[in-house]
Amino acid sequence: MIKMQEYSNGGGGDDGGGGGGPADLAKLQSIMHSIEIACSSIQVSNAYVHVYIFMEMHVNPAAAEATILGLCQSPQPYKACQFILENSQVANARFQAAAAIRDAAMREWSFLTADEKKSLIGFCLCFVMQHASSPEGYVQAKISSVAAQLMKRGWLDFTSSDKEAFFSQVHQAVLGIHGVDTQFIGINFLESLVSEFSPSTSSAMGLPREFHEQCRISLELDYLKTFYCWARDAALSVTKQIIESDAAASEVKACTAALRLLHQILNWDFQFDTSGRKISINVFSAGVRTESSSSKRSECIIVQPGPAWCDALISSGHIVWLLNLYSALRQKFSSEGYWLDCPIAVSARKLIVQLCSLTGTVFPSDNGKMQEHHLLQLLSGILEWVDPPDVVAQAIESGKSESYSDFSNFNSEMLDGCRALLSIATVTTPFVFDRLLKSIRPFGTLTLLSNLMCEVVKVLMMNNTEEGTWSWEARDILLDTWTTLLVSLDSTGRNVVLPLEVRNAAASLFALIVESELKVASASAMDDNGEFNYLQASISAMDERLSSYALIARAAIDATVPLLTRLFSERFARLHQGRGMIDPTETLEELYSLLLITGHVLADEGEGEIPVAIVWFLARWSQTYLMPLEEFRDSSTNLCHDTGYQHQSSTSRKALLSFFGEHNQGKPVLDIIVRISMTTLVSYPGEKDLQELTCNQLLHALVRRKNVCVHLVALDSWRELASAFANDKTLILLNSTNQRLLAQTLVLSAYGMRNSESSNQYVRDLTRHATAYLVELSGKNDLKNVAQQPDIILLVSCLLERLRGAANATEPRTQKAIYEMGFSVMNPVLLLLEVYKHESAVVYLLLKFVVDWVDGQISYLEAQETNIVIDFCTRLLQLYSSHNIGKTLMTQSSSLLGEAKTEKYKDLRALFQLLSNLCSKDLVDFSSDSIEAQAINISQVVFFGLHIVTPLMSGDLLKYPKLCHDYFSLLSHLLEVYPETVAQLSTEAFAHVLGTLDFGLHHQDSEIVDMCLRALRALASYHYKETGAGKVGLAAQAAGINNSNGNPEEGVLSRFLRSLLQLLLFEDYSPDMVGTAADALFPLILCEPRLYQRLGSELIERQANPPFKSRLANALQSLTSSNQLSSTLDRVNYQRFRKNLTNFLVEVRGFLRTM
Amino acid sequence: MSDEEHHFESKADAGASKTFPQQAGTIRKNGYIVIKNRPCKVVEVSTSKTGKHGHAKCHFVGIDIFNGKKLEDIVPSSHNCDAPHVTRTDYQLIDISEDGFVSLLTETGNTKDDLRLPTDENLLSQIKDGFAEGKDLVVTVMSSMGEEQICALKDIGPKN
Repeated sequence: MIKMQEYSNGGGGDDGGGGGGPADLAKLQSIMHSIEIACSSIQVSNAYVHVYIFMEMHVNPAAAEATILGLCQSPQPYKACQFILENSQVANARFQAAAAIRDAAMREWSFLTADEKKSLIGFCLCFVMQHASSPEGYVQAKISSVAAQLMKRGWLDFTSSDKEAFFSQVHQAVLGIHGVDTQFIGINFLESLVSEFSPSTSSAMGLPREFHEQCRISLELDYLKTFYCWARDAALSVTKQIIESDAAASEVKACTAALRLLHQILNWDFQFDTSGRKISINVFSAGVRTESSSSKRSECIIVQPGPAWCDALISSGHIVWLLNLYSALRQKFSSEGYWLDCPIAVSARKLIVQLCSLTGTVFPSDNGKMQEHHLLQLLSGILEWVDPPDVVAQAIESGKSESYSDFSNFNSEMLDGCRALLSIATVTTPFVFDRLLKSIRPFGTLTLLSNLMCEVVKVLMMNNTEEGTWSWEARDILLDTWTTLLVSLDSTGRNVVLPLEVRNAAASLFALIVESELKVASASAMDDNGEFNYLQASISAMDERLSSYALIARAAIDATVPLLTRLFSERFARLHQGRGMIDPTETLEELYSLLLITGHVLADEGEGEIPVAIVWFLARWSQTYLMPLEEFRDSSTNLCHDTGYQHQSSTSRKALLSFFGEHNQGKPVLDIIVRISMTTLVSYPGEKDLQELTCNQLLHALVRRKNVCVHLVALDSWRELASAFANDKTLILLNSTNQRLLAQTLVLSAYGMRNSESSNQYVRDLTRHATAYLVELSGKNDLKNVAQQPDIILLVSCLLERLRGAANATEPRTQKAIYEMGFSVMNPVLLLLEVYKHESAVVYLLLKFVVDWVDGQISYLEAQETNIVIDFCTRLLQLYSSHNIGKTLMTQSSSLLGEAKTEKYKDLRALFQLLSNLCSKDLVDFSSDSIEAQAINISQVVFFGLHIVTPLMSGDLLKYPKLCHDYFSLLSHLLEVYPETVAQLSTEAFAHVLGTLDFGLHHQDSEIVDMCLRALRALASYHYKETGAGKVGLAAQAAGINNSNGNPEEGVLSRFLRSLLQLLLFEDYSPDMVGTAADALFPLILCEPRLYQRLGSELIERQANPPFKSRLANALQSLTSSNQLSSTLDRVNYQRFRKNLTNFLVEVRGFLRTM
Repeated sequence: MSDEEHHFESKADAGASKTFPQQAGTIRKNGYIVIKNRPCKVVEVSTSKTGKHGHAKCHFVGIDIFNGKKLEDIVPSSHNCDAPHVTRTDYQLIDISEDGFVSLLTETGNTKDDLRLPTDENLLSQIKDGFAEGKDLVVTVMSSMGEEQICALKDIGPKN
C-alpha cells in the first residue's frame, strides 16, 4: 500500500496539472496506476460502468477501498487528482479523483490560499467544459457538483469580481457559444449549484446552519433570476433547431436540461419578496414550506418569487413561448406514441403546471387581473390535454394496451392537466376558478372539472380492482382540487349559493360517485379474504376520500340528500323483501358504504375530535353482521338523529337539529346508544374489536363533553351499566384493555354529577367492589396457594385494570375518592407484589396501576398524604428490587429469555415513570400546605429510588430507546434541578449514575446526548459555584479518590473534561450539539483549569506539522480568551464561549481528525 | 363443532386442579394456556375473523414452559380454553449431589431431594459455579400439570 504522504503536493501552491520534473511525473503516474487498479478491482464488470458500482463492491473490497480512502485523506492531493482526471482512461478513477478533490478541499479549506481555492474551482469548471462531449456523463456530473460545492464553500469569502469571473465562463457556455454539449454542461453546473444552495438538497460541509442560510439568501437575491434568464435564453436558442430539424438529439438534451433548471429554480423556497424584505425569518425551519392544506394527497407547491420576477415570468411573453414550444413539439411528434414520455415533454409539462401555481407579489396589485390573464393563458394551453374529457379518457384506455406502458400512464397529459387544475384551484377562489374558462367556452371551469372527474370515475368503475392505475391517481388529484375549492366555501360558514350550473354538475358527479362506491361495496361482499382489521383499514383508507365526497355533496345539497334517502329506502325495502331467501350480504355492504358516505355528508369533522358519527356507524355496522335482522331497522332509523345530535351547532341545518337537541329527542337517542353499548359488551363475548370500539370510541366520546355527561348520569341505562360493571360477573369477561377503558369512561362521567360529594360517592360505588375484593384476597391465610390459580390471576388482573382505568380518569372533583381507593389497596398491592413476584404479567399491572394512580394524585396531595404515598412507593421499589436483583432465569428457550427481557424493560420503564411522577410534585403542587412545611425532600426520595432501580439496569436494557430516553430525561432533570442531592449520594451510587452519563454521551440519539450534556453542565457549574463560595461542592467525588487497589483515580469532572474534549475534537456528532457541548465544556474547564492546560499542551505536542502546531496553539489560546470571556458562569459568558467553541472547531477539527 | 368436543375431552382427562377453563378472549400475552396438553406461556395473541362475517378467533402462539417448544392454537374468542395451574416455589439450595440431583430446603424445614439438575451445560454451570463459590442460592421451582423444573436462580448473597 502507498503511504498517504505520497499523494500530496507537498508544499501546495502550484495548480498545474501536468507536473514538474520527470521524477514527479513518475510518481504521479504510479499513484494514478494504483488508483486505477483499486477502481477496477472493486468494479464488478466493465460492462456495467455505472456510478452505483461503488455501492456494491464484491471483489476483495477492503484493500481497494483503503487505497481510495488514502487518496481522499492525504493532505493536499490536488496535483495527483488533477493528473488522474486529465490522464486516466479509467472513468471510475476520474470519478474518485474528483471526489478526493472535494473531500480534501472541504477539510483543508481554511488554510488554502485564495488563489489555490480559485484555481481548484477554475480547474473543475474548465475540465468539464473541455470534456463536454465525454461519454461518461456521471464523471462530468460529479466534477460539476464538486465545482458547485467548492464554490459554495468559498461563497462568503470570494469577492463579487471573483464570482463574476467564474460566472461569465458559465454564461458563455449556457448561451451555446462553445457548442451544444458545452451548453448542456453549463446548464448542468447551474443545476448543481442551485441544488447545493437550496437548504433541503445542500450537502453537509461541517459548517453551521447560518452559513448555509447566508449563502441561500445571497444566491436568491443576486443570482437566481439571472440564472433563470440564462436558462430560458438557452432553451430559446435551441427551440428552432428542435422544431425544424429531425435529428436534434443534443439540442433536445440541452433544452430538456434548461427546462429542468427553470423548474428547479421556481421550486426554490423564496423568502425575500421585495428587495430585502423578508417573508419568513425562521432560519431553522428553512426548507419546510407551509402548505395551505396539510391533508392533501397530491403535492402542490405554491410559487411565490416576489415582484422582482414579474418581468422575467409574466411580461416577457415567457408563458406564450413555453406553450407554443410544447404545442409545436406535440404536433411534430404526435404521430409517435412514445413522445409523451420524452424527458423534454415531461419537463415542459412540469414547468407549465408549476407556472399555474405562481402567485403572490409577482403580480402587480390590480385586483388579480394580471394573474387571471396569466392563468387563462395557461389554461387555454392545458385545455387541449384534457378536453373533451370523454375522448381523452377513452384514448388513454384504448391506448393502454398498445404503446402506453404503466409508467407513461403517470406522465400523461391527462394527469398533468389535472395537476394544473389543482394548482390553479390552490391560487384562486372558486369564483375566479370557474370564471376562467367562461371567456373561451360556453361553460365554467367547475363544469369542466366535474365532467373530467365523471369520466375518471367511469373508468374506475370499469376496472375497479387495480389500485395504482392512472385513474386512481387522477381521481385523487381531482378530489384534492374539489377539496381545495370547496373547503374555502365551506369554512366561511356563510350560505354561499353556487350557480345552478355548478350545482347540477356537482350533483351529477356525486350521483356517479355514490354509484361507483356502491358497486365497489357490493363487489367486496363476495371476496372473503378475512382481513384481520378490515374495519379500521377500510375506514382510514376511505376517510379522506369520503370527506372530499362530502364537500361535493354539500355543494348540491338539494339534490344529494334526497338521493341518499332514496338509496337507503330502496335497500331497506330489498332487505325486508328478501328476508330469509336472498343472501343479504351485498345489500348490507352497500348499506354500510351508504352509512359512511351519509355520515360524512351530514356531519362535520370536529376539530381534533374523532368523528363520532363514523364511530357510531361503525359500531352499528359491526352489529348488523352479528344481530338478527329485525333489530337492524330500529337502529338505522336513528341514524340521522344521532349525527344531528352531535352537531347541533351547525348553522345551515339549525332547524333540523334543534329537534334533536338536549331538550327534545337528544335524550332518548342517548339512551339508545347506551343500551346498544350494553348489548355489545354483554351479548358478544370475546368480540374484542367490537368491544374496544364501544369502550374506546363510542362511550368515550359521550363523556367528553359536560353537557352530555349531565344527561348521561341521569339515565337509567347508564346507571344500569355502572351497576353491572361494579357488581355483575358478566363484565369480568371483558378483555383487560376494555376493563380499563370502561372504568375510565364510567369514572369520567362523574363530571356530569351535580356536585363534588355526589361525584365522589359515585366513584366510591363504582370501585368499592374491586378494592374490597383485593383487600379480602390479600388477607387470606392461604394467599400463596390461592393466588396462583389461573382464575384468581384473571380476576386480580381484571380488577387491577379497572383500578388503573379509574386512576387514569382522576379529575379534581373525583380526586378524593380515587385517593381513598388507592390508599385502601396500598397494603394489598405490596402483598400481591410479593406473591406474584414470578408472575410478570401481574407485576406489570401492579406497577402500572401505581404509576397512573400517583400521576393523577401527586399534585393534589397534602403533606401528610404525600408522605404516605412516598413511603408506599419506596417500599414498592425496594420490594421489586429485592425480587429481581441477582435473579437469573433458568431456561434454554431463547424466546422465553427474550420475553423476560422485554418484561423487565417494561417494568423498569414503569418504575422510571413512577419516579418522574414523584418528581413533578416539586413543579406542580395544588395542595394547601407547602411540602417544605413538612420537610419532605422529594429529590432525596427520587434519588433513593434511582439508587434502588439503577442496579437492575444493564447496558443491554439501555438499548431500548424508550427506556433509554426515560432514564436520561429523569437523570438530567435530577442533576439540573437538584445537583446538591447528587453530591450526597454514596460513592457507589454516584459512580453508577455518572457511568451511565458517560454511556449516554456517546449515544447515537442526539436528544440523549443533549440531555447528558445538560446534566454535565449542571453538575460542573454547581461544583464551580459552590467551591467559589468556599463550600465543598461535589467534594470527594470531584477530587478523585483512591480506588480499591489503592491507586489514585481521576475525579469525575476531570474524567468528563477529558472525554468531552475527545468527543468534540475527534468523534462524529451532530453539529446541533455544539452549543450544548459548549455549555458543558465551559464550567468543566473552569473546574479543572490545570488538567485543561495539560490536555491542551499534549494536543499541541502531538502535532508534528509546524504550521498546524501553531494554528492549534493559537486556536486553543483564543478558545478561552477571545470575545472577552471571563470566568463567571453567567449567560453572557456562556454565549461567548459558544461562539468561541464554534470558531475553534471550524479552525482545527478538519486537520485534527485526519492527521 | 369440533372445538367443543376437544374442550370437553381435555377437561375430562385433566385433574381438577391442574387446569382451569378460561374464555379465549380474556387470555392475554404473558399469561398461560394449555396447547396440545402442554402448559405454555403465551407470547403472541392475535384476533382474526374466519371470513368477514364469522366470529372472532384468537390465534395463540405459546412456548412450552418446560421444554421451550413453540406451539400454536386457534380458538373462537368466546369459547373456553384451558389455563394451566402454574405454581412456583422458592427453596434454598443446600446441596448438589454427584448423580445429578439437588437437595433443597423447604419452608417447613424438610428437604426435597427428588429434583434433577438441568441437563443443559450452560444452565448447569450457572448453578454449580455459584454453589461452588459459596453463594447463597435460592432456586425457584416451577410446577404445572404434574411436571416440575427449576426455572430461576437467585443469588441472595450477604449484600441483601
